[in-house]
Amino acid sequence: METYPITIGKITRHVPVVETLPGVHIPLVEIMGDVELVQAAAEALVKHLPPETDTLLTLETSPIVLAHAMSAISGKPYVVVRRKRRPYMQDPIIQEVESLTLGVTETLWLDSRMAEKLLGHNVALIFDVVSSGGTMMALEKVAKKAGANVVARLAAFHQGTSKLPLTALSEIPILQTA
Amino acid sequence: MKIAGVHRELPVVQVGPEVSVALFNMLGDTEVVEEAAAALAQRMPADIDTLVTPEVKAVPLAHALSRLTGRPYVVARKTEKPYMINPVSRTVISITTGKPQLLVLDGTDVPLLKGKKVAIVDDVVSTGSTLKGLSDLITDVGGVVGAVMAVFTEGSPRDDVIALGHLPLFKPD
Repeated sequence: METYPITIGKITRHVPVVETLPGVHIPLVEIMGDVELVQAAAEALVKHLPPETDTLLTLETSPIVLAHAMSAISGKPYVVVRRKRRPYMQDPIIQEVESLTLGVTETLWLDSRMAEKLLGHNVALIFDVVSSGGTMMALEKVAKKAGANVVARLAAFHQGTSKLPLTALSEIPILQTA
Repeated sequence: MKIAGVHRELPVVQVGPEVSVALFNMLGDTEVVEEAAAALAQRMPADIDTLVTPEVKAVPLAHALSRLTGRPYVVARKTEKPYMINPVSRTVISITTGKPQLLVLDGTDVPLLKGKKVAIVDDVVSTGSTLKGLSDLITDVGGVVGAVMAVFTEGSPRDDVIALGHLPLFKPD
Protein backbone atom coordinates (compact mmCIF):
# COMPACT_ATOMS: atom_id res chain seq x y z
CA MET A 1 0.00 0.00 0.00
CA GLU A 2 1.30 3.43 -0.96
CA THR A 3 1.77 5.69 2.04
CA TYR A 4 2.68 9.32 2.67
CA PRO A 5 4.43 10.69 5.75
CA ILE A 6 2.61 13.35 7.75
CA THR A 7 4.21 15.06 10.72
CA ILE A 8 2.99 17.11 13.67
CA GLY A 9 5.79 18.13 16.04
CA LYS A 10 7.70 14.96 16.90
CA ILE A 11 4.97 12.60 15.68
CA THR A 12 5.16 11.15 12.16
CA ARG A 13 2.57 8.81 10.66
CA HIS A 14 2.75 7.03 7.31
CA VAL A 15 -0.85 7.33 6.15
CA PRO A 16 -2.43 5.47 3.24
CA VAL A 17 -2.78 7.26 -0.09
CA VAL A 18 -6.25 6.80 -1.57
CA GLU A 19 -7.62 7.59 -5.01
CA THR A 20 -10.68 9.79 -4.48
CA LEU A 21 -11.31 10.60 -8.13
CA PRO A 22 -9.66 9.03 -11.18
CA GLY A 23 -6.06 10.28 -11.17
CA VAL A 24 -6.45 12.20 -7.89
CA HIS A 25 -4.67 10.61 -4.94
CA ILE A 26 -4.74 12.05 -1.45
CA PRO A 27 -2.96 11.06 1.73
CA LEU A 28 -5.78 10.01 4.04
CA VAL A 29 -5.54 11.57 7.48
CA GLU A 30 -7.62 10.13 10.33
CA ILE A 31 -6.80 11.64 13.70
CA MET A 32 -9.61 9.87 15.51
CA GLY A 33 -8.15 6.92 17.40
CA ASP A 34 -4.64 8.41 17.39
CA VAL A 35 -4.24 9.90 20.85
CA GLU A 36 -0.56 10.82 20.42
CA LEU A 37 -1.12 12.71 17.18
CA VAL A 38 -4.18 14.50 18.56
CA GLN A 39 -2.38 15.54 21.74
CA ALA A 40 0.60 16.82 19.72
CA ALA A 41 -1.68 18.80 17.38
CA ALA A 42 -3.71 20.18 20.29
CA GLU A 43 -0.61 21.34 22.15
CA ALA A 44 0.69 23.09 19.02
CA LEU A 45 -2.65 24.63 18.05
CA VAL A 46 -3.54 26.12 21.47
CA LYS A 47 -0.47 28.36 21.04
CA HIS A 48 -2.27 29.88 18.03
CA LEU A 49 -5.46 30.62 19.98
CA PRO A 50 -5.86 34.39 20.26
CA PRO A 51 -6.04 35.37 23.95
CA GLU A 52 -9.51 36.88 23.43
CA THR A 53 -10.93 33.49 22.37
CA ASP A 54 -13.92 32.51 24.52
CA THR A 55 -15.06 29.28 22.89
CA LEU A 56 -13.86 26.68 20.39
CA LEU A 57 -16.27 25.69 17.62
CA THR A 58 -15.94 22.47 15.66
CA LEU A 59 -18.08 19.96 13.81
CA GLU A 60 -18.49 16.23 13.85
CA THR A 61 -16.83 13.83 13.59
CA SER A 62 -13.06 13.52 13.66
CA PRO A 63 -12.14 17.12 14.70
CA ILE A 64 -14.12 16.60 17.92
CA VAL A 65 -11.22 14.82 19.61
CA LEU A 66 -8.91 17.68 18.64
CA ALA A 67 -11.34 20.27 20.05
CA HIS A 68 -11.70 18.20 23.23
CA ALA A 69 -7.93 17.97 23.70
CA MET A 70 -7.49 21.71 23.00
CA SER A 71 -10.28 22.46 25.47
CA ALA A 72 -8.66 20.29 28.15
CA ILE A 73 -5.34 22.10 27.68
CA SER A 74 -6.63 25.67 27.32
CA GLY A 75 -9.60 25.51 29.72
CA LYS A 76 -11.82 27.01 27.02
CA PRO A 77 -15.16 25.31 26.32
CA TYR A 78 -16.07 23.89 22.92
CA VAL A 79 -19.27 23.46 20.94
CA VAL A 80 -19.88 20.78 18.29
CA VAL A 81 -21.97 21.47 15.19
CA ARG A 82 -23.71 18.31 13.99
CA ARG A 83 -23.99 16.91 10.48
CA LYS A 84 -27.42 15.43 11.10
CA ARG A 85 -30.55 16.70 12.75
CA ARG A 86 -30.89 15.12 16.19
CA PRO A 87 -34.37 14.38 17.62
CA TYR A 88 -33.82 16.58 20.69
CA MET A 89 -32.89 19.70 18.75
CA GLN A 90 -35.10 22.75 19.23
CA ASP A 91 -35.14 25.56 16.68
CA PRO A 92 -31.71 24.61 15.30
CA ILE A 93 -29.49 26.74 13.11
CA ILE A 94 -29.38 25.06 9.69
CA GLN A 95 -26.57 25.70 7.23
CA GLU A 96 -25.92 24.12 3.84
CA VAL A 97 -22.35 23.20 2.88
CA GLU A 98 -21.18 23.26 -0.69
CA SER A 99 -18.64 20.46 -0.66
CA LEU A 100 -16.32 20.67 -3.65
CA THR A 101 -14.57 17.43 -2.87
CA LEU A 102 -17.66 15.24 -2.95
CA GLY A 103 -19.91 17.39 -5.12
CA VAL A 104 -22.84 16.70 -2.79
CA THR A 105 -24.63 19.07 -0.51
CA GLU A 106 -24.30 18.59 3.20
CA THR A 107 -26.17 20.28 6.00
CA LEU A 108 -24.90 21.45 9.38
CA TRP A 109 -27.18 21.60 12.42
CA LEU A 110 -26.74 23.40 15.72
CA ASP A 111 -29.30 23.08 18.51
CA SER A 112 -30.48 26.49 19.79
CA ARG A 113 -29.39 25.55 23.33
CA MET A 114 -25.85 25.16 22.01
CA ALA A 115 -26.10 28.27 19.82
CA GLU A 116 -26.93 30.32 22.94
CA LYS A 117 -23.47 29.46 24.28
CA LEU A 118 -21.91 31.27 21.29
CA LEU A 119 -23.89 34.53 21.43
CA GLY A 120 -21.49 37.46 21.70
CA HIS A 121 -18.51 35.11 22.03
CA ASN A 122 -15.16 35.24 20.27
CA VAL A 123 -14.84 31.79 18.72
CA ALA A 124 -11.98 29.86 17.14
CA LEU A 125 -12.95 27.36 14.44
CA ILE A 126 -11.17 24.01 14.89
CA PHE A 127 -10.57 21.48 12.09
CA ASP A 128 -8.50 18.36 11.57
CA VAL A 129 -8.13 18.76 7.78
CA VAL A 130 -9.20 21.72 5.64
CA SER A 131 -9.19 21.13 1.91
CA SER A 132 -11.38 23.31 -0.31
CA GLY A 133 -12.59 25.39 2.62
CA GLY A 134 -16.28 24.79 1.85
CA THR A 135 -16.94 23.24 5.23
CA MET A 136 -14.93 25.95 6.94
CA MET A 137 -17.02 28.66 5.29
CA ALA A 138 -20.23 26.90 6.32
CA LEU A 139 -19.07 26.61 9.93
CA GLU A 140 -18.20 30.29 9.88
CA LYS A 141 -21.77 31.05 8.74
CA VAL A 142 -23.15 28.94 11.61
CA ALA A 143 -21.00 30.95 14.04
CA LYS A 144 -22.28 34.25 12.62
CA LYS A 145 -25.92 33.08 12.71
CA ALA A 146 -25.39 32.25 16.39
CA GLY A 147 -24.12 35.79 17.01
CA ALA A 148 -20.47 34.84 17.48
CA ASN A 149 -17.37 36.62 16.24
CA VAL A 150 -14.81 34.36 14.50
CA VAL A 151 -11.32 35.31 15.74
CA ALA A 152 -9.31 32.33 14.42
CA ARG A 153 -9.48 29.40 12.00
CA LEU A 154 -7.14 26.62 13.09
CA ALA A 155 -6.43 23.25 11.49
CA ALA A 156 -3.98 20.44 12.07
CA PHE A 157 -3.64 19.96 8.30
CA HIS A 158 -4.26 21.96 5.15
CA GLN A 159 -4.66 19.80 2.09
CA GLY A 160 -4.14 21.18 -1.41
CA THR A 161 -3.37 24.65 -2.70
CA SER A 162 -6.48 26.64 -1.79
CA LYS A 163 -5.72 30.10 -0.40
CA LEU A 164 -7.65 30.32 2.84
CA PRO A 165 -7.53 32.52 5.93
CA LEU A 166 -6.35 29.57 7.97
CA THR A 167 -3.57 28.64 10.39
CA ALA A 168 -2.50 25.04 9.77
CA LEU A 169 0.30 23.05 11.40
CA SER A 170 1.12 20.98 8.35
CA GLU A 171 0.58 21.03 4.58
CA ILE A 172 -0.52 17.89 2.72
CA PRO A 173 -0.45 17.66 -1.07
CA ILE A 174 -3.09 16.41 -3.47
CA LEU A 175 -1.17 13.98 -5.68
CA GLN A 176 -2.06 13.82 -9.38
CA THR A 177 -1.14 10.99 -11.71
CA ALA A 178 -1.01 11.29 -15.47
CA MET B 1 -27.18 14.92 38.44
CA LYS B 2 -23.69 14.18 39.73
CA ILE B 3 -21.20 12.86 37.20
CA ALA B 4 -17.88 11.83 38.75
CA GLY B 5 -18.22 14.64 41.29
CA VAL B 6 -19.36 17.27 38.76
CA HIS B 7 -22.93 18.61 38.97
CA ARG B 8 -25.01 19.11 35.82
CA GLU B 9 -28.71 19.90 35.32
CA LEU B 10 -29.99 17.63 32.53
CA PRO B 11 -32.97 18.74 30.42
CA VAL B 12 -35.82 16.20 30.25
CA VAL B 13 -36.77 15.78 26.60
CA GLN B 14 -39.64 13.81 25.07
CA VAL B 15 -38.28 11.31 22.55
CA GLY B 16 -41.38 9.19 21.93
CA PRO B 17 -45.16 9.21 22.55
CA GLU B 18 -44.78 7.58 25.98
CA VAL B 19 -41.25 8.34 27.03
CA SER B 20 -39.00 11.24 27.96
CA VAL B 21 -35.33 10.98 28.80
CA ALA B 22 -32.90 13.10 30.78
CA LEU B 23 -30.72 14.31 27.96
CA PHE B 24 -27.06 13.76 28.74
CA ASN B 25 -24.83 15.24 26.10
CA MET B 26 -21.19 15.49 27.06
CA LEU B 27 -20.05 16.69 23.64
CA GLY B 28 -18.35 19.98 24.44
CA ASP B 29 -18.35 19.35 28.20
CA THR B 30 -14.64 18.87 28.74
CA GLU B 31 -14.86 18.84 32.54
CA VAL B 32 -17.43 16.03 32.64
CA VAL B 33 -15.56 14.00 30.01
CA GLU B 34 -12.22 14.31 31.80
CA GLU B 35 -13.67 13.54 35.26
CA ALA B 36 -15.71 10.62 33.93
CA ALA B 37 -12.67 9.24 32.10
CA ALA B 38 -10.56 9.48 35.28
CA ALA B 39 -13.25 7.65 37.30
CA LEU B 40 -13.71 4.96 34.64
CA ALA B 41 -9.95 4.49 34.24
CA GLN B 42 -9.75 3.48 37.91
CA ARG B 43 -12.49 0.89 37.45
CA MET B 44 -11.26 -0.54 34.15
CA PRO B 45 -10.22 -4.22 34.45
CA ALA B 46 -6.43 -4.49 34.20
CA ASP B 47 -6.50 -7.07 31.38
CA ILE B 48 -8.21 -4.81 28.81
CA ASP B 49 -6.15 -4.37 25.63
CA THR B 50 -8.32 -2.09 23.46
CA LEU B 51 -11.26 0.29 23.83
CA VAL B 52 -14.11 0.41 21.29
CA THR B 53 -16.59 3.27 21.11
CA PRO B 54 -19.50 4.14 18.81
CA GLU B 55 -19.39 7.56 17.18
CA VAL B 56 -20.19 10.36 17.99
CA LYS B 57 -20.87 11.49 21.53
CA ALA B 58 -18.67 9.00 23.39
CA VAL B 59 -15.59 9.59 21.21
CA PRO B 60 -14.04 12.29 23.46
CA LEU B 61 -14.55 9.97 26.45
CA ALA B 62 -12.73 7.16 24.64
CA HIS B 63 -9.96 9.57 23.66
CA ALA B 64 -9.52 10.73 27.27
CA LEU B 65 -9.73 7.18 28.64
CA SER B 66 -7.17 6.05 26.08
CA ARG B 67 -4.83 8.89 27.04
CA LEU B 68 -5.14 7.98 30.75
CA THR B 69 -4.84 4.20 30.41
CA GLY B 70 -2.45 3.94 27.45
CA ARG B 71 -4.85 1.52 25.70
CA PRO B 72 -5.65 2.25 22.04
CA TYR B 73 -9.23 2.99 21.01
CA VAL B 74 -11.21 2.13 17.91
CA VAL B 75 -14.27 4.05 16.73
CA ALA B 76 -17.22 2.14 15.28
CA ARG B 77 -18.60 4.46 12.60
CA LYS B 78 -22.26 4.92 11.70
CA THR B 79 -21.64 4.91 7.97
CA GLU B 80 -19.30 2.94 5.83
CA LYS B 81 -16.54 5.24 4.56
CA PRO B 82 -15.19 4.90 1.02
CA TYR B 83 -11.62 4.61 2.33
CA MET B 84 -12.35 1.66 4.65
CA ILE B 85 -10.61 -1.60 3.85
CA ASN B 86 -12.67 -4.79 4.38
CA PRO B 87 -15.22 -3.09 6.66
CA VAL B 88 -17.32 -5.20 9.04
CA SER B 89 -20.82 -4.00 9.90
CA ARG B 90 -23.99 -4.65 11.92
CA THR B 91 -27.37 -2.93 12.01
CA VAL B 92 -29.01 -2.00 15.33
CA ILE B 93 -32.14 -0.04 16.28
CA SER B 94 -31.22 3.13 18.16
CA ILE B 95 -33.43 4.31 21.02
CA THR B 96 -32.65 8.01 20.47
CA THR B 97 -33.53 8.01 16.79
CA GLY B 98 -35.83 4.96 16.60
CA LYS B 99 -34.26 4.13 13.26
CA PRO B 100 -31.99 1.31 12.12
CA GLN B 101 -28.41 2.30 12.72
CA LEU B 102 -25.40 0.83 11.03
CA LEU B 103 -22.22 0.19 13.03
CA VAL B 104 -19.07 -0.27 10.97
CA LEU B 105 -15.51 -1.21 11.86
CA ASP B 106 -12.69 -0.47 9.46
CA GLY B 107 -10.81 -3.66 8.59
CA THR B 108 -7.53 -1.87 9.33
CA ASP B 109 -8.58 -1.71 13.01
CA VAL B 110 -9.17 -5.47 13.25
CA PRO B 111 -5.60 -6.26 14.46
CA LEU B 112 -6.35 -4.14 17.54
CA LEU B 113 -9.34 -6.38 18.29
CA LYS B 114 -8.57 -9.90 17.10
CA GLY B 115 -7.58 -12.10 20.04
CA LYS B 116 -7.77 -9.07 22.34
CA LYS B 117 -9.73 -8.24 25.49
CA VAL B 118 -11.92 -5.31 24.52
CA ALA B 119 -13.80 -2.76 26.64
CA ILE B 120 -16.83 -1.09 25.05
CA VAL B 121 -17.00 2.60 26.02
CA ASP B 122 -20.22 4.60 25.64
CA ASP B 123 -21.86 7.66 27.18
CA VAL B 124 -25.23 6.08 28.01
CA VAL B 125 -26.24 2.41 27.85
CA SER B 126 -30.04 2.31 27.62
CA THR B 127 -31.84 -0.53 25.85
CA GLY B 128 -28.48 -2.07 25.09
CA SER B 129 -29.13 -2.30 21.35
CA THR B 130 -25.95 -0.43 20.44
CA LEU B 131 -24.12 -2.53 23.02
CA LYS B 132 -25.42 -5.76 21.49
CA GLY B 133 -24.44 -4.61 18.00
CA LEU B 134 -20.96 -3.63 19.13
CA SER B 135 -20.49 -6.89 21.08
CA ASP B 136 -21.48 -8.91 18.02
CA LEU B 137 -19.11 -6.89 15.83
CA ILE B 138 -16.20 -7.39 18.23
CA THR B 139 -16.93 -11.12 18.46
CA ASP B 140 -17.21 -11.31 14.66
CA VAL B 141 -13.64 -10.06 14.27
CA GLY B 142 -12.24 -12.39 16.94
CA GLY B 143 -12.22 -10.10 19.97
CA VAL B 144 -13.50 -10.84 23.47
CA VAL B 145 -15.66 -8.24 25.24
CA GLY B 146 -14.06 -7.99 28.68
CA ALA B 147 -15.99 -5.00 30.01
CA VAL B 148 -18.66 -2.46 29.16
CA MET B 149 -18.02 1.00 30.55
CA ALA B 150 -20.42 3.94 30.44
CA VAL B 151 -21.06 7.20 32.22
CA PHE B 152 -24.71 6.23 32.74
CA THR B 153 -27.04 3.29 32.49
CA GLU B 154 -30.60 4.29 31.64
CA GLY B 155 -34.03 2.71 32.15
CA SER B 156 -33.66 -0.64 33.84
CA PRO B 157 -30.61 -0.87 36.08
CA ARG B 158 -28.09 -3.39 34.77
CA ASP B 159 -25.13 -4.99 36.49
CA ASP B 160 -23.22 -5.94 33.33
CA VAL B 161 -22.07 -2.35 32.84
CA ILE B 162 -19.40 -0.43 34.77
CA ALA B 163 -21.25 2.88 35.11
CA LEU B 164 -20.83 6.04 37.16
CA GLY B 165 -24.56 6.70 37.53
CA HIS B 166 -28.09 5.76 36.48
CA LEU B 167 -30.73 7.75 34.60
CA PRO B 168 -34.44 6.89 34.94
CA LEU B 169 -36.91 7.14 32.05
CA PHE B 170 -39.74 9.67 32.49
CA LYS B 171 -43.41 9.78 31.47
CA PRO B 172 -44.17 12.90 29.43
CA ASP B 173 -46.67 15.39 31.02
